[in-house]
Amino acid sequence: MSVPAREPATAARPAPRSLRAAGGRPRDPGGGPSRRYGPGTAVTVRVIAAVVILALWQFTASAFAPAYIPRPSRTLAQIPAVLGDQQFLSGTASTLLAVLEGLVIAAVIGTAAGLVMGRLRDVDRLLRLYVNSFYAMPIVALVPLLTVWFGYTPTARLAIIVIEATLPIVFNVAEGVRAASAGDGQGGYEDVARAFRAPWWRVWTGVALPACLPSLLAGLDLAIGRALIGAVVAEFIAGLNGIGYYILFNVRSFHQDDALVAVGVLVAFALLLRALINLAVRRGLPWYQPSVRGEQA
Amino acid sequence: MTDAPGAMIQVNGLTRRYGPRTVLRDVSFDVAAGEIVSVVGPSGCGKTTLLRSIAGLAPPSEGTVCIAGREVTGPPEGVAVVFQHFGLFPWKTVFGNVAYGLTVAGVRRKEAEQRVRQLISLVGLDGFEKSYPYQLSGGMQQRAGLARALAIEPQVLIMDEPFASLDAQTRDLLQLELLRIWEQRPAAMVFVTHSIDEAVLMGDRIVILGGRPGHVRDIVDVGIGRPRDRSVLDSERFRVVRDHVWTTVMQSPAGLDRPEGAQAPAGDRHQAGSRKEQG
Repeated sequence: MSVPAREPATAARPAPRSLRAAGGRPRDPGGGPSRRYGPGTAVTVRVIAAVVILALWQFTASAFAPAYIPRPSRTLAQIPAVLGDQQFLSGTASTLLAVLEGLVIAAVIGTAAGLVMGRLRDVDRLLRLYVNSFYAMPIVALVPLLTVWFGYTPTARLAIIVIEATLPIVFNVAEGVRAASAGDGQGGYEDVARAFRAPWWRVWTGVALPACLPSLLAGLDLAIGRALIGAVVAEFIAGLNGIGYYILFNVRSFHQDDALVAVGVLVAFALLLRALINLAVRRGLPWYQPSVRGEQA
Repeated sequence: MTDAPGAMIQVNGLTRRYGPRTVLRDVSFDVAAGEIVSVVGPSGCGKTTLLRSIAGLAPPSEGTVCIAGREVTGPPEGVAVVFQHFGLFPWKTVFGNVAYGLTVAGVRRKEAEQRVRQLISLVGLDGFEKSYPYQLSGGMQQRAGLARALAIEPQVLIMDEPFASLDAQTRDLLQLELLRIWEQRPAAMVFVTHSIDEAVLMGDRIVILGGRPGHVRDIVDVGIGRPRDRSVLDSERFRVVRDHVWTTVMQSPAGLDRPEGAQAPAGDRHQAGSRKEQG
């Protein structure tokens, strides 16, 4: 009764599940440098690049720059002192926790708003221009206003983080939902659900929500950088205790090396968050492949 | 067409307008229980709109569609659609996709599971239950699309150019398989296609639409017995019917309505165009 599912001359056979069970995801062939070099080599190459850049910096600074320009040798030597500094640690914790909190709030608000905008054409018409303009404008311009409204408090910082981070999420989620329910009956998942008599709430939970997850994560990825900008600028302007203020204070008191170490910590934090997002895509959305977006949406 | 009282699908004077533009004008035909009616016509003649109306996804501007005697006002029970671009949910596995209609209908889990397994096996996807759509070839994705449609045990199957985005060999293979599966579970079927050969091979009757606005030019009795297999393609009757359909489609005003016929090269470009036109 059943026939073999082998089609002549069609696309590549799917990766057998056993492959994935054994720990490897089916990756697109030839993708990424790790395929060509192996993971060990990639790390070595990156380390070499870092050493070369630092050496160039060291050489240029000591050969041509005045003594107050930081050199890697001095900055690197300063790392243990900074990382052991109680004031640095409490400031950093305060900033990074605020960023995480803001990202979580932004993800919730942004997803809800994006779903509504993506699904309801009237709401979209009403809000699209404003979301787009806000997305395009430099939100940090609002910091002085927010310090008036919320005072020179961590609340003002949180507010700016939330505003910064929400916009790319709304934008992306709305776009993703719109693509998924493009209602022309061909490839529009909403039509498929309706044809199978799915009630309205199933279209929201079973189509719009899963369809928007990749765009939510893409939006979050963009939001990380914006949230960090908002936090640091808010601290600069409002003089709030935090890693941004630590940087400002140390630069002004001629401790540029300490400030640079703090900048490095910000970079590391941003990279860590982005790596987590990446992991979430791979682990949480096993169905999501770039090709899915291209062919189906 | 007079409406036969026993018809499973009755399309009566269906007219559909989008704004000032009329896409379909006064289309009438019916489909008996267990009958396959092919619909052919040039790009942009409203084939997809017709299907959407029958499926309850687009209300007619005038006229009615009745299924099993009941007027269609929304997606009706017992009607399943197979989409040109498969319409599989990429976040669901093959199993989850095939089970979708049953989940929505609230069929009990155990029963649903059993039915889904049977269907996956019927369409030849054993062993791929846990695969995601992106891991499957186009042909396999459409097998899953077919299984999903059949899972709800439909009285009416609506096929929207189901094989148009597949390569030629896969298309030939799936046509014959669809016939085989249909023999086991005969449902009233509306089969929209760009391919005149496919229309003749599948259909008991063929509705030929003309373009702009879409209207019925002719309804042809194919008159080839069942079960059918590949040998049908070599029969005299097949050739006669195909030539008749071809001539009728070609009679459309030249230029805009150029038909995309049996031998048209892989239709992807044309379909993209027609999709835009049908909006």
